Amino acid sequence: MIDKFSEFLLVHKKLLLCLTLALTAVFPFVFTSQYVIRIATIALMYVVLTLSLNLISGMMGQVSFGHSAFFGIGAYAAALTVTRTGLGAEVSFLAAILLAGVFGALLGLPVLRLKGYYFTIVTMVFCEIIRIVELNWMSVTRGPLGIMAIGKPSFFGFTLRSQTQLYFLAVILVAVAYLVVHNIMNSRIGNAIMAIRDDELAASSMGINVFKYKVMVFVIASMLAGLAGAFYAQYTGYIDPTNFSSVKSNEMLLMVIFGGLGNAFGSFVGAIVLTIIPELLRGLSIYRQLIYGGLLVLLMMVRPQGLFGSVNFKYLGQRMGMGAKEQKGGETK
Amino acid sequence: MSTVLNVENLTQRFGGLLALEAVNMKVEEGEIVGIIGPNGAGKTTLFNCITGIYHPAEGTVRMLGTDITGWKPHQVTSLGFARTFQNIRLFSKMTVLDNVIVGMHTRTKTDILSAVLNTKAKRREEKACEEKALEILRIFGMEHLKYEMATSLPYGPQRDLEIARALASNPKLLLLDEPAAGMNESETESLRQTVYRLKQMGYTILLIEHDMKFVMNICERIYVLDNGRLIGEGTPDEVKSNPAVIEAYLGKD
Repeated sequence: MIDKFSEFLLVHKKLLLCLTLALTAVFPFVFTSQYVIRIATIALMYVVLTLSLNLISGMMGQVSFGHSAFFGIGAYAAALTVTRTGLGAEVSFLAAILLAGVFGALLGLPVLRLKGYYFTIVTMVFCEIIRIVELNWMSVTRGPLGIMAIGKPSFFGFTLRSQTQLYFLAVILVAVAYLVVHNIMNSRIGNAIMAIRDDELAASSMGINVFKYKVMVFVIASMLAGLAGAFYAQYTGYIDPTNFSSVKSNEMLLMVIFGGLGNAFGSFVGAIVLTIIPELLRGLSIYRQLIYGGLLVLLMMVRPQGLFGSVNFKYLGQRMGMGAKEQKGGETK
Repeated sequence: MSTVLNVENLTQRFGGLLALEAVNMKVEEGEIVGIIGPNGAGKTTLFNCITGIYHPAEGTVRMLGTDITGWKPHQVTSLGFARTFQNIRLFSKMTVLDNVIVGMHTRTKTDILSAVLNTKAKRREEKACEEKALEILRIFGMEHLKYEMATSLPYGPQRDLEIARALASNPKLLLLDEPAAGMNESETESLRQTVYRLKQMGYTILLIEHDMKFVMNICERIYVLDNGRLIGEGTPDEVKSNPAVIEAYLGKD
């Protein structure tokens, strides 16, 4: 069913893309409820996080349980830049991206030499370390009190105040993150990343510097998570260490797996669906978590690779393109 | 003619086990050289030492005069060796075409910035890669399979694809680890023709093989390994009549 659906998506790719863009553009004017726009904005932020985590865990096959650490580092970097220096969002976003990237390199350089489970465990621990530092470094992070009254993002003097403006900022961030991930994956570097996922030894025998690419991808993904963190801090105006716990990391990984490991489109689906479902289930109060959990168990039983985990749109498109040509050839005969 | 590969006094230990003991060998440009020996003789270990997967305990490996002992696999490949594996190691979730394109990694240049920006130079390089990959696939008659997933191919074509992927790096020496393993007679015959064609195209090849007929037919020189030591070398006829070799294969009275 998913295969048929994926083919449908590809055949009508242009139309669907235009429709989605149009919908995205009119969405905040149709649904004027602040609550709905807020959920949409948060969902978009999760798309950035899920896309970047998918780059490490899905496309390169290095499962990380520590992505929210970089989300948090970005958020604190931006929050501190804004509250302490009063500089604009262009500076705070840049600071968040750079600091998250630096931490990505600091963690990646020693740890990415580890393989498989060892790497996963270290990311888990790293996430906890960062949270504890955030919790206890009172002079900088104000610990459990969190940082309050972070100003709304202001680019070159133009402040985005309304929910709608912030929603469109999130849309732009998603577009940037998607282009980065998509363009990387559709290059020789993307090929190298997939080769590393499939067989590290064979990849290195093809002349691929496995360690270099692992660090590179990890840093890029950390930077994107930092970007999302900067947005989050200035969107909500308040951050504290509980926002960046391992629970958040697990949530992000869940979105990646739900949508499908290694599929960028799946990351959109995973992030949006898993942000909306808990909201829809809000009315069920105490049964909410139960049903949410049940749905996930069901998915893992029916489709353990995630919704689009077994689909590679590029390859599917190539095959369909070739199929069409063969058919035409057959007809002329 | 220049010496593509020069192995001197190569020794490798795993704990107390002496896997290779003072092995010396040479491969000249344009040659097809075979390595034979009983199971556990150290043939694949020798390959792994040459291609940087293992770091030999003693001895040196030289490629065209450059000392590459202790280099990492990706460095060895960038300088000019390419190999296949005894148990096929294709990139399973990639197409036939992309498997070959990965093989070109060391010959392409696009860096991360041009990849993210999707520059014109990047797209040009990509197009050139695809054309070259198709050209290589054509040698094996696999052009029509370009969009198939690598692991959906039958066994024989998977072996061919491994060779194609190795060729993509435009190697100065091609190392084939048991290319005919698990093949039936007609597949082996077509492999022999492929290897012969590669020789005519000017490739230098070093191969490990169990299939005696295959080795004797195609190789110009043969090294015989047993228990980590070289026990014989020479042309197929010399090796066939070497008493040490016969003893290793058939045993002593």
